Amino acid sequence: MNITNDTDNKTTTIHVAGRLDFEAAGAFQKEIESAVAAAAAAGNALIIDCAGLEYVSSAGLRVFLVGARAAKGGSVPFAVYALTAAVKEVFEVSGFGRIIDVLNDRAGALEKVGRTA
Amino acid sequence: MISLTEELTLLAVEDDGRIAYTAGSPNFAMALVGACIIDLNNAGRVDADLAALNVLSTEPTGLAAQDRVLELLGAGPSQTTERWVLELQADAPALIRMTLGQLQQRGILHLTEKRFLWALHTRRYPIDDGGKEQKEAKLRILAALLSEGLPTPHDSILIGLAVAGGLLEAYLSKSEIARLAERIDEIGGLDLVVRGVESAIRSDAEVRAHAIMLSIH
Repeated sequence: MNITNDTDNKTTTIHVAGRLDFEAAGAFQKEIESAVAAAAAAGNALIIDCAGLEYVSSAGLRVFLVGARAAKGGSVPFAVYALTAAVKEVFEVSGFGRIIDVLNDRAGALEKVGRTA
Repeated sequence: MISLTEELTLLAVEDDGRIAYTAGSPNFAMALVGACIIDLNNAGRVDADLAALNVLSTEPTGLAAQDRVLELLGAGPSQTTERWVLELQADAPALIRMTLGQLQQRGILHLTEKRFLWALHTRRYPIDDGGKEQKEAKLRILAALLSEGLPTPHDSILIGLAVAGGLLEAYLSKSEIARLAERIDEIGGLDLVVRGVESAIRSDAEVRAHAIMLSIH
């Protein structure tokens, strides 16, 4: 799994690519927790770009809940976007779409977290 | 910290040490198997997706019930979580006994055996730690359901399995459950393994209903 992040226009974006399984979940959780803490301190929003995410397992999926919970606790606007078909199906089956804002593209995610593209 | 399987089993122990009748139901059996699988997932022994429950390592965890499930998963074919839960529900009585044994070892409850009318043998598991672990689990479930925040993955899973296993009725009234239904649906069981347990419960109910219909005709 490959994780990178950048910050622009008061918005931190985590770009996640590859397979998010048990092995990768720990590193992704560290990244997301650290990004939430930094975003909370700076008053930034946090969005996750899943365009390159090919696979997510049960262990990987839990990290999204950890991230969304931390973001809500820190009053950090949070959204995920550009889910591939396989990941979208996992989000739908598990019910994550009911608790996390899932948008089709970056522009939609930026609008959802109150930023303009 | 106790395991999810131990926590779920503890929720089935009543104030007088009796194991709730619910624990004998197929739904609780499947929820318990799900709890074992999630403990194994958290310990890095298995991982699940929509297509299969995959064994990553067969190294024992040291917890008897979870290791029994791991042994069976490791020896079996690659198949969905739903399929595994349906198959392993038959092992639930043994898994419950093993988990009660684990809870005894931790000093959380103890076993008392009594005879009633010189013949009927009863077993009870009075809770020893002042009910601390059980109270904490119940309070966490209630706090998650009554708040507006997002639950931890652990609490979401515990709520999902408690609902699937029919345990919520033991300490919430029907009207309270009805009032909280939307919230339970929103935050309970946000997990692929729990969804597999729910699918297994639906499939099992359909098979049982079909068998009854066949016996009528």
